[in-house]
Amino acid sequence: MSKVADYQIPRSALGWMLLSVLLVMLPQSLHMPFWVTFLTLVCIAWRWLIFTGVAAYPGRLLRIAIVVFTMTLSVSQMRSSGIGLDSAASLLALGFVFKLIEMRHKRDVYVVISLCFIMAMVNFLYSQSVVATIYTAIVIIVITCAMLALNRSHLHPVGRGNLRLATVMALQALPLTIVLFVMFPRIAPLWAVPMQNSSGTTGVSDEMTPGDLAQLGRSSELAFRVQFEDSLAPLHQDLYWRGLVLEDFDGQTWRRTRRGSSYSEAASLNDFRWNWEDRVRLGSQALRYNVIIEPSNQPWLYGLHLAQPLNRELYQSRNFEIFNNGVISKRSSYDLISYRGSATDLILLDSARRRTTNLPGRGNEQSVAFAERLRAGVQSDRDYVYAVLAHFQQNEFYYTLNPALLGEQRVDDFLFNTRQGFCEHYASSFAFLMRAVGIPARVVVGYQGAEYNPYEDYMMVYQYNAHAWNEVWLEGEGWVRFDPTAAVSPERIEQGVEAALADDPAFREQSLFSAARLGSLGWVNALRLRLDAIEYEWNRRVVNYDEDVQSDFLANVLGDVTDQKVLFVLIALAFVATGAIALTVISSEPRSRRSVADSLYYQFGKELDKISLGRQRGETPLRYRDRVCAAKPELAQLVTEATRCYMELNYHTGVRKQDSAGQESTTYGSNTDSLAEFRKVLTQLRFKLLPFGRLRREA
Amino acid sequence: MQQQLTAWMRRRIKPAEEITLNRRNIYVLPTRNGLLFILSAALIFIAAINYAVSLAFGLAFMMVSLFVLSILYTFNNLNQVTLRRLPVRPVYSGESIAYNVELSRSPSRRHESLELCFDRGVVTPGDLLDVDRVQLQVFTPATQRGYLSAPLLRISTCFPLGLCRAWSVVDLDMHCLVYPKPIAFVMSQFNAGGGGSEDSALLRDGSEEFYGLRDYVPGDPLRQVAWKNVARGQGMHVKQFVDYVDSRVWLDWDMFFGFDVEGRLSRLCYCVLQLSRQQAAFGMKLPGVEIKPATGIEHRDALLRELALFQIERRGLAGSE
Repeated sequence: MSKVADYQIPRSALGWMLLSVLLVMLPQSLHMPFWVTFLTLVCIAWRWLIFTGVAAYPGRLLRIAIVVFTMTLSVSQMRSSGIGLDSAASLLALGFVFKLIEMRHKRDVYVVISLCFIMAMVNFLYSQSVVATIYTAIVIIVITCAMLALNRSHLHPVGRGNLRLATVMALQALPLTIVLFVMFPRIAPLWAVPMQNSSGTTGVSDEMTPGDLAQLGRSSELAFRVQFEDSLAPLHQDLYWRGLVLEDFDGQTWRRTRRGSSYSEAASLNDFRWNWEDRVRLGSQALRYNVIIEPSNQPWLYGLHLAQPLNRELYQSRNFEIFNNGVISKRSSYDLISYRGSATDLILLDSARRRTTNLPGRGNEQSVAFAERLRAGVQSDRDYVYAVLAHFQQNEFYYTLNPALLGEQRVDDFLFNTRQGFCEHYASSFAFLMRAVGIPARVVVGYQGAEYNPYEDYMMVYQYNAHAWNEVWLEGEGWVRFDPTAAVSPERIEQGVEAALADDPAFREQSLFSAARLGSLGWVNALRLRLDAIEYEWNRRVVNYDEDVQSDFLANVLGDVTDQKVLFVLIALAFVATGAIALTVISSEPRSRRSVADSLYYQFGKELDKISLGRQRGETPLRYRDRVCAAKPELAQLVTEATRCYMELNYHTGVRKQDSAGQESTTYGSNTDSLAEFRKVLTQLRFKLLPFGRLRREA
Repeated sequence: MQQQLTAWMRRRIKPAEEITLNRRNIYVLPTRNGLLFILSAALIFIAAINYAVSLAFGLAFMMVSLFVLSILYTFNNLNQVTLRRLPVRPVYSGESIAYNVELSRSPSRRHESLELCFDRGVVTPGDLLDVDRVQLQVFTPATQRGYLSAPLLRISTCFPLGLCRAWSVVDLDMHCLVYPKPIAFVMSQFNAGGGGSEDSALLRDGSEEFYGLRDYVPGDPLRQVAWKNVARGQGMHVKQFVDYVDSRVWLDWDMFFGFDVEGRLSRLCYCVLQLSRQQAAFGMKLPGVEIKPATGIEHRDALLRELALFQIERRGLAGSE
């Protein structure tokens, strides 16, 4: 190994290597600043130019410059966006691609290979979907190709069958991987890590300003999936996925009452410690269901009212909202029990009443006057609520996703002027009208409706299902849900936003290829549902396979679980898997090599059989040759030649000769030459025996 | 420690003319690159724990499985390879011995990127892909004259992934006859050799008359090399100048009085090479050995052999080549 200095990475190895770097960085380019992607491409091109001799390895000065440059950029990025996953990933990526241009020796290649695997892991932090998994599998095969090409004999520079061998190896590695994946004990995180990434927050917000744009209503991204345990799913119009309760109103914006600065400290806040039994009268019907939520980068979760979380990490607020301890930065799963028909807060505390009847001192006088007029005409609070709903229903209010912008006096402007809007407008003005006459009311934001997937029996809730409605406190009933939007556009609630907005050009334009659009095409829709079902199953069974699921699964399979037992089964299964693979590896030999000479000789015997000179059982090639030569002298030359070729191929009878020094040596004709010769002789023989073959077939 | 290990290996390894590798004599250990690979798998595993990313666990386990697989593949790449020793040409001390080793396989197997070397010696690469047998030369320096045993032969491979190395150490019981290193000198003391009865010529260096060119022999003074011919690509030749003298010569141990044993042998070796090239008849007297004058290649080799083995125990030479 003294010639390390002039080691040149083989062409095919370098090609595979650069391809795997490209593939592994490709998904990263979605999250990283564009200049990282740009530098990646520059470095890949540079390394290739070094190979072709156009460019040179970077000098010492340039390397120092690169290090300084990377440090500066990373520090500035961290100062702007915080030390999060994104900045760490970009830093790793930069070091990774710069290592590429000084990849000189075999050792460097293995450093790059290891970094490739680590980048593949980083990709999993962003997405664990089926597509991402298949993509990573392809990346692993490409990296394996690079390793193969690197270790191929340089005596045979043409890389043959790398891809095939790499695929075979990946498949052979699969059983052991699965055994380890299922059986290897999962451990809870050792220390908490901040998982921030820049991809914006999705889902409902804790602020609502009617009259702003309605971006949320149109996005066809998935929000979460729900599966009910005993498939007694409620009707579409009952699917109100409660998110946040907004109580503070300043005349324009509804806000959630925040105490403390951050939701991630939810667990430590007083707000979340209260006595459930005192404030709740549970309904009779309990629904158990599992929700798999897409990353929203927000801590709040969604569930049907009144939901009780079953997971330890979840907390419930005073207003029965559900919070995760920390933001949802990756797809997560949680279980809930909802008691339908429950009543909450039958006795309203004074503080709560103050909060939920509070209005800004001035503004929207027209609406206040309207409310007081309407309240004077009815008997009870309940009647007043129905009167307001009837007002929405009987007058010319329209449901649309792109309403006119509202002026300074938002509620007045909406109620008496524009009269067109979507859920936020209705919920906001409804709550205002309630509070104007002293009835406690609040706005609830969340999702309404779902799409049912029949293939795996679950529901899909999209971002365009986002909705806002109201809860009004009535004497003797507690908080009661009212949805003013339903009064205006009943189909929005009964059939979903797709039906309500089927003719709305803005909605159609936004969701050109989305669920709502494709829903009209039968087989496309079926395919879409089927694919989503696969994704759902993948999530449930593989992505969510954590320590809890594992212990449940093992308890199911093994009965009572002890550590020794698990360890024993793990070792036993790993041995079985490895042993099985070992059998396939150690006996997986290309058989064709053996039979080339033998099969040619067999054909040779077959040809001669046409003239009744087939080879007899146990006859040696030489004796056979002599017999045929004696019987058919005109074939003697061909038969002798064929026998010689066969003997040379099979027994390596070489040509002996003596060199000048008196040393005896044997030279062997190369096998390929002998094979070619053998084939030629056989063809000649066939040609000669052609008439006999025909005769036989005719007869 | 190292010596103990070598001694243990020596005890374990039985010398044989032909050895087929199998699980009893193949060892597999991870390479540095393999350790790096495992280290990154461990890193991914820790990250998977901390970020609770299920598929990162899968990735780490996949890497471990690939590593296990590479152990099997690398072992299989060496398994059932047969090594056989082939005849070796004698060399002069100070040169490299090229031991000829034949690798062969059973026809259904393929072996790629095999590496043969002696202890820390130059690596000879080899393959068994399209051919069933291949002849390789493995080099080791000839440090002293005599009948040298080859060091332990090491055959190894990293194919296919380079994550671990399978190797085997074998003893093919190879020996090589090493002649003394020829030392050139002016052979003027031959002119008064015998009775002068015969007319055949004996070439003698340092004379005035240009005789011709002959092949270069190791040890020839470089200033006599015909460099013009070398430059024309005609090979190394030496200019010869001759005198015509009596050809019946005896090379004698005492001719080089004043030199030590090796010095005498080296000079005698040079004389033998020169004289046999001139096809002179000559004999040799060493203490306890006397070989009658004769000519021919066999005669030369017999003399060189005597020089090589002078005062060296000749035990166990029966199987020599």
